[in-house]
Amino acid sequence: MSFERDAELVVVGAGPGGLSAALAAAETGVRAIVIDEYAQPGGQFYKQLSAGFTVRDRARLGYDYTKGDALLARVRAAGVELLSDTLVWASFAPGTLGIRHRSAIGTIRFRAAVVACGAYERAAAFPGWDLPGVMTPGASQTLVKTQRVLPGARMVLAGSGPFLMPVAATLIEAGARVVGIYEATRPSEWARHAPRFIGHWGRMGEAVRYWRTIRKARIPIRFGYVVVRAEGTEALERVVLMRCDRDGGVIASTERFEDADTLCASYGFVPSVQVTRALGCDHVYDAGRGGWIPVHDECMRTSIPGVYIAGEVAGIGGAHAAMAEGRLAGLNAARELGKRVAESAIEDARRERARHRTFAKIVSDIFSIKPRVRELITDDTVVCRCEEVHAREIRAAALAWGANVNFVKGITRCGMGYCQGRICGPLVEDMTAAALGVSAGSVDSFHVRAPIKPLTVRELASMSQADR
Amino acid sequence: MIIDNITHGPPVTIIVDGELLSARAGQTIAAALYASGRRVFRHTRIEGKPRGLYCGMGVCFDCIVKVDGETTRACMRNVEQGMQVTLPVRFEAARSRP
Repeated sequence: MSFERDAELVVVGAGPGGLSAALAAAETGVRAIVIDEYAQPGGQFYKQLSAGFTVRDRARLGYDYTKGDALLARVRAAGVELLSDTLVWASFAPGTLGIRHRSAIGTIRFRAAVVACGAYERAAAFPGWDLPGVMTPGASQTLVKTQRVLPGARMVLAGSGPFLMPVAATLIEAGARVVGIYEATRPSEWARHAPRFIGHWGRMGEAVRYWRTIRKARIPIRFGYVVVRAEGTEALERVVLMRCDRDGGVIASTERFEDADTLCASYGFVPSVQVTRALGCDHVYDAGRGGWIPVHDECMRTSIPGVYIAGEVAGIGGAHAAMAEGRLAGLNAARELGKRVAESAIEDARRERARHRTFAKIVSDIFSIKPRVRELITDDTVVCRCEEVHAREIRAAALAWGANVNFVKGITRCGMGYCQGRICGPLVEDMTAAALGVSAGSVDSFHVRAPIKPLTVRELASMSQADR
Repeated sequence: MIIDNITHGPPVTIIVDGELLSARAGQTIAAALYASGRRVFRHTRIEGKPRGLYCGMGVCFDCIVKVDGETTRACMRNVEQGMQVTLPVRFEAARSRP
């Protein structure tokens, strides 16, 4: 049985951006529905504890939970409908989204939409990155924050970017044994950006808090290191790291070995653009924003009428930028829907957005992935984890056919598995561009096709004749 | 298990490859496997390589297991009493692929 819903405004994603968009629109009188793939609203930033757990003292849970609680309470009070366990799998006609709620297939018809699907981590690929025990920093944080399970007994954090700090702090506070943090950049590379941080004291304060937690636990932080290899037979046993230069090229004879059962590694984030692609929005490559993002204007409007974006989808910028953009998108969508919206409210959101985007730009200038880390992906390294395609095959196909990554995909099957190229896509784009000596963004990206998340045949078959 | 402030849900028993595994209501399958010390969730169908939790947020599909016969992301699905979980193994017919 399939179902149909009409929505004045549909918001995709219940993280800080999506919730802020729904709240801003609802406060002007818009009837908003927020759909979200997870069992609990909050997204990755305001990760909520599993609903099966009871908490004696919520205030003791910490800042992210209480802030998330407060935002969710306001969203509910404003009359926004929250539909969890609901993913978007297609958009077959303008103004519609094909969704799956639990295992029921349905369609939402909308007059306006705000897509705030967030981002996921940019994979750090090296020999052994597919071993159990090697995961993204976010995965370990989720295990601790939503499940209260420690990922391992001896943990190493590596990669690059400010996200390593809160993850380390979360793990330490939960009692994990973190044996080392390895950041690919060096403070000397940040120094010239220091004056740009003036005025961003709040954000710097957050960093200082995490830094203190890490120092107090006496966990060594080493700068200018990259993971070159993860070793183990059935699961991770040892991590091999080496010093690297400014470009990410490793310096000979600088190996460090860490016995560890868990390695958390990533190089920042990649915007989740599958839904905006399914909706037909134009996209543009912007390395500083994490790669491909939907083309959008100051009002957060995309190239498709009625479709707005907010947060990490519009480029990696953090939760504060997401909330400002959510408000901006929600208010502008409300105005388009004929509601009265004060110009000053839009102006405030616009100003706040500009401030947070300025900060995000500094962060991305400092922590952008170093180009030569791609050399760590040896020919025998698996690149497409789903279809088990190795770097050797991808490089050969790129040299033979690589003007467009979709040719590489067609020949090697990379990006054709369950994750549909979400994880290997950025790697294959980079490897293809490098093989041809052209710039990133000039070799296209994997085409997105429905279903954009796997459905079962039974679910598809449940669609009514009218839907087809 | 960590932090005294939280009470986990009531105990539930799931069946993993025919063996009983105690878990707590509210846990994901991935968390229940990790809590029991199990990090290898499956072996890949072509090369038979061990895999486990990777992105932890439903994006990578590396943690897929079979639940009551249906392919499911272990990080996205909560345990239920009596749930039958099968950990995928190498697909023998795939061996011939170069």
